[in-house]
Amino acid sequence: MLAKIARKCFPRSLWVYHCNSGACNGCDIEILNILTPYYDVERFGIKLVGSPRHADVMLLSGAVTRPTLPLVRKAYAAMPGPKLVFGVGSCAAGGGCWFDTYNVSGGGAKAVPVDYIIPGCPPRPEAIIFGVALALGLVDKKAAPVEMKQVEFPIDMYERNKAWEERNVIYKVLNT
Amino acid sequence: MDALTRIETELRSRLGPAVQGLSSPQPGRLFVDVERRALRPAAKALIDLGARYMVGIGWDEIARNGTIGLAHTFAFDADHVAVVLRAAAPAGDPSFESITPDIPSAGWSEREYQDLLGLTFTGHPKPKRLVLADDWPAGVYPLRKEVPYNLEPPAAEDVAYRLDEAPPGTTVVPIGPFHLSLHEPEHFAVYVDGETIKGCDYRGFMTHRGIEKLCQTQVSYNEVPFVAERICGICGSVHACCYSQAVEAAAGLKISRRAEYIRTIMLEIERLHSHLLWLGIAGHLIGFDTVFMQAWRVREKVMWLAERITGNRKTYGMIVIGGVRRDITPEIRAGIEDVLAALEKEVLELKRAIIGDSAIHRRTKGVGYLSKEEAVRWSLVGPVARARGLRLDVRKDHPYAAYDDMAFDVPVADSGDVWGTLVVRVLEIFESISILRQALAGMPAGPLLIEAPEALPPLRHGLSMVEAPRGESVHYVITGEENRPERWRVRAPTYPNLQAVPQMLLDNQFADFPIILGQIDPCFSCTDRVAVIDAGSGRRRILGRTELEALSRGPEAGRSRS
Repeated sequence: MLAKIARKCFPRSLWVYHCNSGACNGCDIEILNILTPYYDVERFGIKLVGSPRHADVMLLSGAVTRPTLPLVRKAYAAMPGPKLVFGVGSCAAGGGCWFDTYNVSGGGAKAVPVDYIIPGCPPRPEAIIFGVALALGLVDKKAAPVEMKQVEFPIDMYERNKAWEERNVIYKVLNT
Repeated sequence: MDALTRIETELRSRLGPAVQGLSSPQPGRLFVDVERRALRPAAKALIDLGARYMVGIGWDEIARNGTIGLAHTFAFDADHVAVVLRAAAPAGDPSFESITPDIPSAGWSEREYQDLLGLTFTGHPKPKRLVLADDWPAGVYPLRKEVPYNLEPPAAEDVAYRLDEAPPGTTVVPIGPFHLSLHEPEHFAVYVDGETIKGCDYRGFMTHRGIEKLCQTQVSYNEVPFVAERICGICGSVHACCYSQAVEAAAGLKISRRAEYIRTIMLEIERLHSHLLWLGIAGHLIGFDTVFMQAWRVREKVMWLAERITGNRKTYGMIVIGGVRRDITPEIRAGIEDVLAALEKEVLELKRAIIGDSAIHRRTKGVGYLSKEEAVRWSLVGPVARARGLRLDVRKDHPYAAYDDMAFDVPVADSGDVWGTLVVRVLEIFESISILRQALAGMPAGPLLIEAPEALPPLRHGLSMVEAPRGESVHYVITGEENRPERWRVRAPTYPNLQAVPQMLLDNQFADFPIILGQIDPCFSCTDRVAVIDAGSGRRRILGRTELEALSRGPEAGRSRS
């Protein structure tokens, strides 16, 4: 549904504003990487712009720290509608490993409405491109339901190691 | 007389009984305990002996003995010695005499502990907030033990950072927090007279994530390296390696030679990708996007190589306390050699294209100049220092991992400008390739991980330095009792280099600001790891470029000439 709306709202080139709200640079250089010759997103009409006022999409990377929280909100408010926000990486998804420290407010959703999340630490450039293309309805979803994947875990090392499984609640739930 | 004895004699003769203890638990490390009042004279004595200031470390010992500790670390690079000056102040009166008037690069360390531990430094020339936001409540010091790691005070309105007094007749141009030339949220206020930069005030630490506090309270020894890798997405394994070495030094662990070789390989692979990344960014900052595209195209091979070795393009997760987690198998070794051969060819072409390009010459030569004397005064490190004629390289000066077995040059330029840093970095790519080849050829057999004892001895101090792509990273660890460090201090190379940027900017053109800042390869996330920031000035200005109107702060200071 959302993909359909996105296709309607963003029928032409997508201009992307990259907002680092307190990331470690890992996601940021992967975002820059998608511009370079191997990945070259400009062939899809995706272009990185310097100002949120020119942007259709905000790529938010990093946990939102306490001082950047109002700044991210202001950058989001400066974007003209319709607009989308992508959370790139684990930190933007939920705050990452420092989600509750004294200077981190949490994931991107604490500051602005995040429409899509691209997981990874950092996500591969392919994953970022796939995420954006998926949101725009350029490609089909390739994900399988989570429980199917977990049950058919192909590495028998884990099957042998019962102690490891017992420590992981998810396996206990799935096996019963 | 060896260096340790010389330093000891000098300190004892200058300070007398104020030197309370002196020990050298690890080779090349000297821990000196001095009285609080003797900290400044002791620091001055070390600087007079030719030491380079590294970093200050503060820690909370109120629960144990009612004091707050403070250490200043110094490096004697030619003598391969690092000295730690330790002092303590009672919690009721946590004040020290500031050493910043003697050593300008100590300014940030002292301001940091003023924010985080509530220490006061008498005589500090600029005792403003550095790490914590301006709306952070007074009296809450996050690094003190009684403050929980997840205490997040509510934001307060109308608390703004007071910029430095602008030189008369200048206009303030705000850059950041979100700006094209900064890929991270930081705020610079640049004072310009027409197009010429006359000064700069910096309010950063917006990516302070409280990592040190988190790791001192929540995770265990061997989880810290993975958090450490996420301090910075570019030089992650430098931090993991440096932390592991500091713990190993403190606990007296000796890791296997093979693990040291594998660490060397990982660090050099990281240097390769980081230098190519910088080259691209530098090209981008001076408007030469072809360099950006080409350098990153070449770099992609290194990323694929890293993925093949470690399973991830970044944040490798290779280095833990006691060794490494994955082996370099013969098949991977052949793969590395292929990549190196291809890379060498391509970087050579890139080098030829850059070295002869007149546009790059004109944009970088004489830009961001800093003399050798100033570089010493500001304790610059890494390629930024080497471009100022200082032959500083931790790999040579304080060998770690397997660098004592490697034969390599330290490229030095004496031009003192952006061009010098560019040349140094390009030449270092070739040295890295050579080190990688030597490491692959000379790698001995052996275990990857050693068995560490069940519990590491508590309250031992360990200091470790690693040459990151940007310069020297310093980690200081005090081992703790609950299977986690009692105190872990990270100092990234951008920390000292950034302090000298206002000096480098002076009298340059405003249009050169991005590349002058870019020459230090700034990595704010490393620098800020523990800290917080300035909502005030940021709230007012989000878009530097689009809101270039003067930031007028009063009729006399805000006169615009442009």
